[in-house]
Amino acid sequence: MGFPSGVKSNQRGGSCCTTSAMGEFKVHRVRFFDYMPSAIRALAFNQQNETMAVARMDGAVEIFLCSDRFFQGKIIPGREQCGIEGLTWVGERLFSAGLNGQITEYDLTNQRVKYTIDAYGGPIWAITGNQEGTHLAVGCEDGTVKLFAANEDKIQFERNLDRQKGRIISLSWHPSGSKIAAGMIDMIQIFNVETGQSIHRMLTDRGTSRSKECMVWCVVYLSDGTVISGDSGGMVKMWNDHTGTLIKSHNVSKCDVLALSVSQKEDSFVAGTSEGFVVQFQFISSVLEKNDKEWVRTRTFRNHTHDVRAVAEITTAVVSGGMDTQLVVRPLLDKIEVKSSASALQKIIFPHRSLVSCARKAGLMLFQYPGHLELWRLGESEGQGIPGSSLLVKKNPEKLLHLKVKGEDHIRCSAVSPCGEWIAYSTNSSLGLYRLHCDNNNISITKISKIPKVLSSAKLCFSSDSSHLFSASTQSSVHVVSLSQSGCKLVGTLKPKSGSHQAIHLLAASEDGKWLASANSDHEVHVYNLHTKELHCTVPIYSSAVSAMAIHPETNCLFMMHADQRMFEFSIERKQYTDWSRLVQRNGLHYIWLERDTPCLNVMFNPQNPSHVILHDTYMFCIIDKSLPLPDVKTQFLNQLTLKSLPKEKRKSHSHAFKVCKTFREMLHVELMSDQSLVVVERPLVDISTQLPAPIKQKKFAT
Amino acid sequence: MSQTHSKRKAIIINSAICIRLFTSRCCRDIRTTRWQHLLQSILVTLVGLSLMYVRRCWCLIWRIPYNVCSKVRFTSLKETNKMSELAQSQFESSDDELPEEVAFDASKSAALKSVKDALESAKREKNLLKEKRRKRQQLFQEQKTRKRLPEDLLEEFDTEPQKPAVLSDNVKDEEETNVTSETNSKSLPDSYSVKRVKDESAAKSLQQSAIDFIQSRLYGPGTKRTSNAELLSLKMKKGARQGASVEFVNKKYGADLKKKITKSNKRFIHKQKMVPS
Repeated sequence: MGFPSGVKSNQRGGSCCTTSAMGEFKVHRVRFFDYMPSAIRALAFNQQNETMAVARMDGAVEIFLCSDRFFQGKIIPGREQCGIEGLTWVGERLFSAGLNGQITEYDLTNQRVKYTIDAYGGPIWAITGNQEGTHLAVGCEDGTVKLFAANEDKIQFERNLDRQKGRIISLSWHPSGSKIAAGMIDMIQIFNVETGQSIHRMLTDRGTSRSKECMVWCVVYLSDGTVISGDSGGMVKMWNDHTGTLIKSHNVSKCDVLALSVSQKEDSFVAGTSEGFVVQFQFISSVLEKNDKEWVRTRTFRNHTHDVRAVAEITTAVVSGGMDTQLVVRPLLDKIEVKSSASALQKIIFPHRSLVSCARKAGLMLFQYPGHLELWRLGESEGQGIPGSSLLVKKNPEKLLHLKVKGEDHIRCSAVSPCGEWIAYSTNSSLGLYRLHCDNNNISITKISKIPKVLSSAKLCFSSDSSHLFSASTQSSVHVVSLSQSGCKLVGTLKPKSGSHQAIHLLAASEDGKWLASANSDHEVHVYNLHTKELHCTVPIYSSAVSAMAIHPETNCLFMMHADQRMFEFSIERKQYTDWSRLVQRNGLHYIWLERDTPCLNVMFNPQNPSHVILHDTYMFCIIDKSLPLPDVKTQFLNQLTLKSLPKEKRKSHSHAFKVCKTFREMLHVELMSDQSLVVVERPLVDISTQLPAPIKQKKFAT
Repeated sequence: MSQTHSKRKAIIINSAICIRLFTSRCCRDIRTTRWQHLLQSILVTLVGLSLMYVRRCWCLIWRIPYNVCSKVRFTSLKETNKMSELAQSQFESSDDELPEEVAFDASKSAALKSVKDALESAKREKNLLKEKRRKRQQLFQEQKTRKRLPEDLLEEFDTEPQKPAVLSDNVKDEEETNVTSETNSKSLPDSYSVKRVKDESAAKSLQQSAIDFIQSRLYGPGTKRTSNAELLSLKMKKGARQGASVEFVNKKYGADLKKKITKSNKRFIHKQKMVPS
């Protein structure tokens, strides 16, 4: 059996090769989606849920599930002119503060902003909560540390601590809640929270550059009274808060130390620098079995190319993020006992939601940017060729539509109907629906103004005949809107019985228009009958989140891929798992398949071959042939090249169900169009790296 | 020459005086030895000589050039002409000669004359500038008259705005005053500009200044930053498969800049009418 082959494109066009028998596809390699991820500004770890909150420069906040292979469970989109500077958990609630002077609380159930209040202190530089979860402190531009009481529904301003001259850049609360350390320009102040007065004023040395002020970018307050600070001279200093003096100072880098994070047990901390490396210090004794412990610099992690703006030390790993937009999870091997997938370095580059939607019958693609949408038509090629060859592009891909979103909110989700006539998008505050009229050369678009009150939705999906729009809304319910020539009308609402309030992040509609499946953040998957508008069944809950799902056009089986790389197939009509799915569970999956570190984002079926399932993740795409035997542990998993070298008769005996292709660069989306051509949207990392801000110059030997 | 003579005369007279002093003293006091007396006399001569050259010594001490010193000296009762002559001759004279005396009146009149001269020259300059300005103004007037539309058209325009004002006489008085105020309205002076309230809020400017502060601290002068191209090129150089710098390998990188450069090259070649080789 052959395998898909691709072709080089000239400039930014699509590209094609031959199409004929099963296994050979025409592949459009698309590189004109200029997706630019946003830099990471702050990290906050919640110990109880084991979730990591990540704040990006464009204001977006993402929640990663640390126990579930760092799957991106929730995304709250940002807005223009946001300027987030800090993120903190107070109990189960998430707060952020930014340079626009406002404190924001997030509604994690519905994945949106709950409210914002103004702190009236100018731009806010730091935010921190105390360990009991009762109070919140923010450090402002005017030199005040403001205390807010975290009430049930809102936070309320309590009082100011003593006002200082100079802005407060970083804050840290003592674990007991009685003292706060504030890092300012050229000094660190320790405040008594009860009285509000400054107890100690510790001046930092300016180092070699006498004219430049020393900014204390980060402080951490330990329970034994030690204050650790990282400043712009590249020094990590340990201070004693009883006497207000410097204990020890370490020169870590020649540029700024931008972030600090201490572990739960307070026996190690990590510092992130401007040069891109992360340094770990541990509280150990220099001679074994002696009690004179001190802070010793142990490890250096060089996983970033640009500034590291945020670090977090969780129990088994060090998580760091910065200006190169990648979230790096580096497990600490001395804390891990078993070698598993959790012990490998993981880099999260792309979001775990699909930003591309395709109109399969019309050959159009919709790209979702934060502030606008772009609609492109694929190019065409001519001629035939052998697999792996490149063909001439007869007609270049063309941009049909550039749709800017009104208002300052970023786009949350978008979709284009399979026939290419309807475009829908949703932001935090509004829903936009447009009808597209496409003659050969003329494009015209009309906005549907009278939209029923289906305000913002977390996920949009069109039915396969483009007659209905499904919009996921609050309390895990789905609104069904019928579309017609005259406009749109709310037809019904599908509600689950369980009463879970979490937002839905995936929707899948069947080809015949009878079934709709929805997956929410509580790991629940519901299947609804669209004719009766009632809940049909619920798939048994699995511990890992669903990363992609689709309903088979003929057998109406729901195929689900999870974040831990396991797959399930559920027959909707019979309300149970299929035999093939049980076979997979019994057999187990190959370890190479399970060790992949990026989740599958799209599942498709091939109409010409009903036993094929097409999946993809960032680095590979794979066709699973359900009619072939499953591989066991000893067989070679990535065997496409060896099969190619074998003669045709021997191939059948050696082949197994998983056919993996790794020829394409970092893939954002793969889709099978109705004319049997594959579209692969690539975004090479080099193209992203060339548009990042400037890195620090590093002196390397022999350059 | 006369000066040198006079100087020598002075030396001789001085030394004569010293010897006389010496001898006179010598007669009075027998106890001092002859050599001591000699020494004393030599010292006195030296002192006398130095007194002559006090001014030069003064100049040497305070490091004022000798030429300047010459104008600082005491004035004598000679005339201004002689004064200037003397000043000139001072430059020419050698260092060993005595300075000339100048009369007080002469120097006073010289100073007054120089002040008068300065005033006159300032006046002359002012007049010159005035002339220049007048001529320019004339030129502009001429140009303006040349540029202006024919007189009759201007008259026509002049009458037009008056008509609606005339018409509104029939309407209420308020409107009339409004119209007249409109016709009398002036445009804002150049240093004023109009902005909406929501465009310019204090919070936004504070936020912008905070952003600028961070930007200057992390990326501004004094930080050791390089470019992404260099970082990627270094990686390619040190990688397993060594390659050229990223600007050459990656065709999309800096594509617009390359386009601009090729365009300007073409233009240059065309301009120079060079035959492309």
